[in-house]
Amino acid sequence: MKLLDKYNRVNLIAAIIIMLITGGIYYLAISSILINEKDKSLEVEEQEIFDYVKLNHNLPQVFESPDQQISFKQVPKNSVTRKFINTTYYKNANEPESGRGLISFVDMGHTYYKILIVESKVETEDLIQIIFGITIGVILLLLLALVITNRLILNRLWQPFYNILDELKLFHISDTRNIPQLDNSIDEFNELHQEVSAMATRVKHEYQNLKNFTENASHELLTPIAIITSKLDTLIQSENLSEGQGKLLTDLYGAVNRLNRLNQSMLLLVKVENRLLKDENLIDLKALTEEMIFQFEEIFLSKNLHVSYNLDEKQVYANRHLMEILLSNLMSNAIRHNYNGGEIKINLNAESLIIENTGDELPLRDDQIFTRFHKSSYSEGSGLGLTISKQICENFNFSLLYSFQKPYHKFSIGY
Amino acid sequence: MKILIIEDEKGLRESIEAYFQEAGDICETADSYQAAMVKINLYSYDCILLDITLPGGSGIDILKTLKASNNKDGVLIISAKNSLDDRLQGLDLGADDYLVKPFHLSELKARVSAITRRKMYNGNNILQFNEISIDLSAKTVTVLDTPLKLTRKELALLIYFIANKGKVVSKNAIAEHLWGDGIDLADNFDFIYSHIKNIRKKLVEAGANDYIQAAYGMGYKFNDK
Repeated sequence: MKLLDKYNRVNLIAAIIIMLITGGIYYLAISSILINEKDKSLEVEEQEIFDYVKLNHNLPQVFESPDQQISFKQVPKNSVTRKFINTTYYKNANEPESGRGLISFVDMGHTYYKILIVESKVETEDLIQIIFGITIGVILLLLLALVITNRLILNRLWQPFYNILDELKLFHISDTRNIPQLDNSIDEFNELHQEVSAMATRVKHEYQNLKNFTENASHELLTPIAIITSKLDTLIQSENLSEGQGKLLTDLYGAVNRLNRLNQSMLLLVKVENRLLKDENLIDLKALTEEMIFQFEEIFLSKNLHVSYNLDEKQVYANRHLMEILLSNLMSNAIRHNYNGGEIKINLNAESLIIENTGDELPLRDDQIFTRFHKSSYSEGSGLGLTISKQICENFNFSLLYSFQKPYHKFSIGY
Repeated sequence: MKILIIEDEKGLRESIEAYFQEAGDICETADSYQAAMVKINLYSYDCILLDITLPGGSGIDILKTLKASNNKDGVLIISAKNSLDDRLQGLDLGADDYLVKPFHLSELKARVSAITRRKMYNGNNILQFNEISIDLSAKTVTVLDTPLKLTRKELALLIYFIANKGKVVSKNAIAEHLWGDGIDLADNFDFIYSHIKNIRKKLVEAGANDYIQAAYGMGYKFNDK
């Protein structure tokens, strides 16, 4: 829910509740004041009757009056208690109106009369209605004004916030672009903006440090590897090496090679995870796959793998270097985990690129295979190949799924 | 060939120097930015091997100086900085090639040979080795004027061997050269064996000498005798 809506909702509900309560109180107050007025006028009338009785020792003549009716009734002594009542006032016999009455009594020694004075309340109620109506109208008008001004003011007021939010959305850690200075006169937003800018700068700085560290670490690690490699290359030039020494050197080459690959893979993973390789082009996936199959040709042959493929035309928008690594990783896996004389099937269509291979009889754990350094015990890979592949797919919003349909292990890239 | 090796790492510099000297090239070395600047201002070289991270300055600045003075020396950047930006910057500034550490000396030699060949034989791009003649532009091979049909990879391998003639080249180096370092199959080099067998057979059948010898099970040597 938007801040404005939330604010308006709370505001509106509160205003309506307060309005209802005050409306009720207002109504009660006005009517009690007006009824009080009416009662006073009834008491005046009563007093007039008392005065008349005191003076003349009999009951006054009752005249017809449009808004007042007085009646006397002889009743047993002390049977009446004085009280005000709400009753019905009959202006005409068939026209009842609400009325206010006073029941009283007059004791004239031997006779005892109940007095009933009734006055019409119509005018009072009309008055209440008019006052109440005007009040409600004013409150509704105020409420409307409140909603509209809230909307306008809040939108204006929060504009700097939305500006900062937009800047944050554009923020990318590897960008060189900084969050620009925004003008606003509100201290809170100024502070927010300053903090956000400072944080962005700090994050970028830390990130740069990390990147530098990775780069430096790679440099430090690659140099000794480079020296070992060059020394091995020099060593094998020696005359008269024995078969045994040759075997040792082969093993050394293998180990250095793995060390190097591991290092390269870690660097690549950092780059892919941080999306540092941004150069994206339209890639002819069919041509690229064909190229990769050609690259692997001799390796397929040496393991007597039967490779069948069916490639449709397909173009994707991605980084060429990363797509090469992705395909190469998946094909290397399909070869490495295959058996001599096994099978590889490659299928490219409009929805997906599928690489299937024969191999182990049991399915792989698809919740583990994409995690770092997860590999089968006999594998000589780095354990990062599928992690890198998955991350590359994520970078381009492709999906990479594994499934096992005996006897095929199937990896499919969906784009 | 006259080569300048600008590399601060002693072990690596010496290995490169020894490898090139044994092949009959003249090598000079520089271990810092300042030493390198002195040498490039005084002498000219067929090829300069340039490390980027040097004590006293950046190899990129050396490259800029070279290009600013319209120096025609070939430049091969050798760097551990495998970032695409560095690579593109280096090539944009006029470096002839870029090789990422760690590399095999045979790969370095092949790259340097390619650069100097491009510099020396303007237009006429024929690589001659005894009875074998390779037209690098047309990608055709003739042995004693008889055309020889080689696949793309076989041709690349032959050129690689000729650049490293007289040297033992490891299987790892061959695999990386032909299949790129993207192919992570260090556990299996059988495919190289059959590949070499094919190319040997083709060369011998075309009437060339059998130059390629297996060396201690870990590599091959292209004999120039």
